[in-house]
Amino acid sequence: MLKSNHSREFIKEERIGYLFIFPALIFMLAFVGYPIIYNFILSFRDVNVTTFSNPIKPFVGLKNYIEVFKDPTMGISIWNTLVFTIGSIAIQFVIGLGLALLFNLKFKLSEPIRGLMVVSYLIPMTVTALLFKFMYSTSGGIINELLMKFNLISQPIGWIIDSKYSMLSVILTNSWVGIPFNMLLLTTGLSNISPTLYEAAKVDGANVFHRFFKITLPCLRPAILSVLVLGFIYTFKVFDLVFVMTNGGPVNTTELMSTFAYKLSFTQFSFSKGAAVANVLFAILFVVSLGYLGLIKEDEVMD
Amino acid sequence: MKKMIMKSKEKNIILCCMSIILACIMLFPIYWIVVSSFKTNAEIFASPPTFIPANFTLESYTSQFIGKNSIVVTFGNSCIVAITSMILACMLAIPAAYGLARFKMRGKKTFIMIFLVTQMLPVALILTPMFLTYKNLGLLDTVWAPIISDTTISVPFVVLILRTYFLSLPREIEDSARIDGCNTLTAFTKIMIPISYPGLIMTAAFSFLFAWGDLAYALTFISSPEKRTMTASIYNFMGKYGIQWNCIMAYGVLLVLPVVLIFIFLQKYIIGGLTNGAVKG
Repeated sequence: MLKSNHSREFIKEERIGYLFIFPALIFMLAFVGYPIIYNFILSFRDVNVTTFSNPIKPFVGLKNYIEVFKDPTMGISIWNTLVFTIGSIAIQFVIGLGLALLFNLKFKLSEPIRGLMVVSYLIPMTVTALLFKFMYSTSGGIINELLMKFNLISQPIGWIIDSKYSMLSVILTNSWVGIPFNMLLLTTGLSNISPTLYEAAKVDGANVFHRFFKITLPCLRPAILSVLVLGFIYTFKVFDLVFVMTNGGPVNTTELMSTFAYKLSFTQFSFSKGAAVANVLFAILFVVSLGYLGLIKEDEVMD
Repeated sequence: MKKMIMKSKEKNIILCCMSIILACIMLFPIYWIVVSSFKTNAEIFASPPTFIPANFTLESYTSQFIGKNSIVVTFGNSCIVAITSMILACMLAIPAAYGLARFKMRGKKTFIMIFLVTQMLPVALILTPMFLTYKNLGLLDTVWAPIISDTTISVPFVVLILRTYFLSLPREIEDSARIDGCNTLTAFTKIMIPISYPGLIMTAAFSFLFAWGDLAYALTFISSPEKRTMTASIYNFMGKYGIQWNCIMAYGVLLVLPVVLIFIFLQKYIIGGLTNGAVKG
């Protein structure tokens, strides 16, 4: 039925199209699709450093998931991942929006300075993590030195070694990386708002606050939504930054699901448990991604 | 009227000053990494801290070039990984983006969906199964393991932004190429690829940057110190150098240098790519 609707020309064009797409598609299915399935299987078997070289890996059902959830670190890491994600998104969104509004005022240096700020987004995460680790340190760390100079604190704070401040420290670092990303996307959103709207509002006597809450925010809604959802997806899976800065410590206070999964697989060599934790992380991301795809469904991306 | 102009000029100056101050705060960490790399280790711990090195020294740089597995080796490894991954990503992603932009076909939505979803996958999900797979394939501890896995990060990203780029080019270009005797393939290689160079530069830049900055794959899949990339080596320095921050910062500067160079020369392509690619997918 479907086939008869398509002319021979359509079939020919389709075949050529497939030739263009298939190399990339097959590559992705082989090196991303296959591992996802492998990971799923792995999480129901018992694969660790002793059973690894055996040809037959025993099927253990949900045992890995049960054991992982019995481990108090699992609950802590889920909670930490949520705190880390929401904290980072809140900070980088508010500052990113502020900067986007500022640079949208179109003054002389707005474009070059805005461009310059993107650098922090492009620096390799490993370097950012080490740099902030250095700046946070108790001896010679510039952050403590500055805070003491302005008499805000009397003694150096062990930002990343004190369990009270460690989460805050990694959140601030991650926000520093994320601010330019938020700023750029919101700038694009702002530039799509027609200036005539503001002119009309001015004529009607609306002040700055009215204009912000009645025009800017509602018009920016699609951009805000995609920034928040993409921010959630990117932050929820952060690994390198925390791995290098604290490796989950002190005492699990910054342990994220991603670092916990890595630890299980590559420090304790319980590959199956690591796979189980990664699957839980994936499941949460998958649900959020589906929501996001629903959001952009009407967008031109699906042309 | 004159008053109006004055006012906007003043406003301009105030806004410029404000944004310069904000940029200084935001970019201070980058200044700090550079300054610290030129200090002696004693000066690093000086209180109050010095904002300009009192004893300017290149020691932390020169020390990176001596010994086994020096920065020369790791820089070479990083280049091999990043450049190979870039070439692979371009070869796969450019035709795919073009195919998704220009041809009518069944299943197109599904294909786009696959690229969208793979872009959102956590590294932690891929690490364990790929570690075991590379081990079985004998690719573990070779540059190919990080090269392949880095490419899986850049391909979906690049396909999606490049597709919107191809969509923005007028279709008439290919139609007239056809009239002049091109077939589909030659219209793509001889006409579309040359005229879409801004999109292709962006593709190459992003796939290079993704692979250059990767730590997780390089660290997990490569165990021999002489095969390590710069990111994996700087991570291992933390144990070796302890708190010799000036050396770590110098290494960091050398690691960031190619990124900054790419950024300076390709800024407009990168920013365009980020805004296009991220909003739409």
